[in-house]
Amino acid sequence: MSTLRFVSLPLALLFAARIGLAQTDPGVQTASRGTGATIINPSNDPNGFTAFFNDGFNRFQEIETVSNSANTGLGPRFNSNQCSSCHAQPAVGGSGAATNPQFLIISSGVAPDDTLPSFVTATGPTVEARAPFFLNSSGEINTKAPNGGVEDLFTVTGRSDAGSCSLIQPNFAAYLAANDLIFRIPTPTFGAGLIENLDDSTLIANQVNNLKNTLGIAGTFNHSGNDGTITRFGWKAQNKSLHIFAGEAYNVEMGVSNELFTQDRPLPEEEQATGLPSACLNLSGTGYPEDTSNPTQTTNAAVLDDVSAFANFMRFLAPPPPGGVVLNGSQVPTSTIAAGSALFNSVGCANCHNPSPGVTQVSNFVPALSSVQVNAFSDIEIHKMGTRLADNVAQGSASGEEFRTAPLWGLGQRIFLLHDGRTTDLFTAIQDHKSSGSEATTVIENFNKLTTTQQQEVLDFLRSL
Amino acid sequence: MKIRVFCFLFLVASSASLLAQSQTPSLNSNSRDSATSSAQRPLTKLPPETILVRGAFSSASDSVTPVPESGTVSQDAFTDPYFGINYPLPRDWFQEYEGPPPSESGLYVLAQIGPRKDGPDSASMLITAQDLFFTPLPTTNALELNQFLNDHLQDYYKVEAAPTPMKIAGRTFSFFSYWSPAAELHWYVLAIDIRCHALQFVLTSRDTKLLDSLMLDLNRMKLPADVSATAGEGGGSVPVCIKDYAQDSNLVDRVDPIFTEHRFSPVPVRIIIDTQGKIKHIHFISAFPDQAKAISDALEQWKFKPYLRDGRPVEVETGILFGRVPHPVAPHPVAPSAVTPRATGAAVR
Repeated sequence: MSTLRFVSLPLALLFAARIGLAQTDPGVQTASRGTGATIINPSNDPNGFTAFFNDGFNRFQEIETVSNSANTGLGPRFNSNQCSSCHAQPAVGGSGAATNPQFLIISSGVAPDDTLPSFVTATGPTVEARAPFFLNSSGEINTKAPNGGVEDLFTVTGRSDAGSCSLIQPNFAAYLAANDLIFRIPTPTFGAGLIENLDDSTLIANQVNNLKNTLGIAGTFNHSGNDGTITRFGWKAQNKSLHIFAGEAYNVEMGVSNELFTQDRPLPEEEQATGLPSACLNLSGTGYPEDTSNPTQTTNAAVLDDVSAFANFMRFLAPPPPGGVVLNGSQVPTSTIAAGSALFNSVGCANCHNPSPGVTQVSNFVPALSSVQVNAFSDIEIHKMGTRLADNVAQGSASGEEFRTAPLWGLGQRIFLLHDGRTTDLFTAIQDHKSSGSEATTVIENFNKLTTTQQQEVLDFLRSL
Repeated sequence: MKIRVFCFLFLVASSASLLAQSQTPSLNSNSRDSATSSAQRPLTKLPPETILVRGAFSSASDSVTPVPESGTVSQDAFTDPYFGINYPLPRDWFQEYEGPPPSESGLYVLAQIGPRKDGPDSASMLITAQDLFFTPLPTTNALELNQFLNDHLQDYYKVEAAPTPMKIAGRTFSFFSYWSPAAELHWYVLAIDIRCHALQFVLTSRDTKLLDSLMLDLNRMKLPADVSATAGEGGGSVPVCIKDYAQDSNLVDRVDPIFTEHRFSPVPVRIIIDTQGKIKHIHFISAFPDQAKAISDALEQWKFKPYLRDGRPVEVETGILFGRVPHPVAPHPVAPSAVTPRATGAAVR
């Protein structure tokens, strides 16, 4: 007993010393910062878009059913039945919440006949899954057949409002066994209207400016296949506008066909074969697309289709306000936050996570989107991020190793980090930027040359965003 | 007929590649490409941390001719056959991670090396090369590049030493240094022109004495005899560098590529023209495979007037940009320190 005490005392001291010396992610900041408010000044809204924001806010939270309700069109395959179930943290429009709503999808009867995939956990990240490659019939990976499309987690099979539609879920066990499954978490949409309203010329000028570095960094942009302009939304900057972003998500994540994506979406494997079975088509009974504009409605906002309403909601969400940081129960001094900001710039993080890539152009929506400094902490470029972060999914001109510089505004209240939510720890997320083939390795090496105190200041600063 | 010729060339190139493998790193020699090669066999499990789905990437028409990214860091040295560099690493230094592939603006991360034990007391070295054919910055040589970076440092950095010539390993580098008062980190930047590129050696540490000693240590580096933006005399192992040589006035035959995909990425291509005026080597710095195929098919049919130096034909290395122009063209500064064009006028402009 005395020996045990003798051993445990130094261990306890060592542990205490580590707590005292090592850098610690202050974690998710829980004090309200007012995130989720609209950017529109109601007293300076000449076109009346406030009503569109409010309408979009409500529709963003509507629960979709397959048929027989006011909100139909869910499925036949889906990841969730409500926009705000995934875009929840710290407010409607954000990223994934601490409690994963997908964990309850089956037990609550939303997908009654499905099996919960092993990677969906109660307190893990809310995810979509993608298989980088198709598997052949013997379970081997066909590297000549890149897939990369979303493998929806759930089906409507067994629901009382889904008729005789019977589908099986993707073979997640086989994909996992082949290490052929990657995940994406929801991107937060606060301030998205400002990013949408940055002109290409602003981003290009910023890109040239970014090349003045001694860090070995030189990014590029993803482009729209339609008009050749810079695309900017999604983890690989694959979506041009908030309209496209909303339309794709409505179709892919919830299975609702709409004016931009007009058919129900099969799995990539089904698309390669015969598509969705006929018993799973037009389950809503409305015909296609399931989401349309509503010409007979009596308010201007209600005339819009859901996708337009979602886009307006995201477009008019204000940027997430920065705020104070609490670490181990104590308020971090503002001088520490300022020091962390200076260090963030100095080691080179700001080369890609540009505190402000520019000023918005004049908006035809609302004055609040015009001529605004966009403090997104992103250059909206795509960069090669190396083997550790690569997901082998190409989108547009972004390759399997390229990702958009994730905007860091709102990071203080984000729970899950990096594109797949693999960690909740900021320090780990920073270190994961460093691997073979990554443009960020030198920056992380610079970060690692800081003292522990300085690194702590950087973490504190990041949680102030 | 063309297929037969191609097959023959392929066989010759493959054999030559095998023969040369021990001394000449090829495009297939780095781990990223090794992973691709192994992926040709059926896999039951994807190897972790492997990049198989690539977008635009670098490739070359043969695996024998060195390309800038051919450099390797072995246990005791950084060597790059394209640039003719050999740098014995400081004791206990190594490269933990390879750099990213070349960028579409022609920036190469050749090596990123440091001590096995990282931390506040350590230092690191980043070795990069900027292709002067394609740089979007208004610089034409290493000295201008250093001067430009020095003049455009962000306000959170302070210049410690403005660009000045410095002898390293018997060659003249441009040296400048800056530091961050917040991070207490110092950067020593040494730049030199070698074969159409501005090479930079960026040393970083909190400890300036350590940086001084590392800079001295660079004297152990072996560099090619002719270090300049225009490189060698041509006709030997190193062609002469001429920017914008692929102009109509120098071309006898030219066929434009037929692209099969609508892409938006620029395709910087470095070529070596032989003494007969035929293209003997094509290096795609960044290209999607379909772009590389279309451009290769076209360039096979190009014919140049042989470039003459002192009355005899010599090999030429130049760059051609296909596809989308990546950046606005910045005006070049008036730089009295720029590389003086040679008597032949064969300077990188």
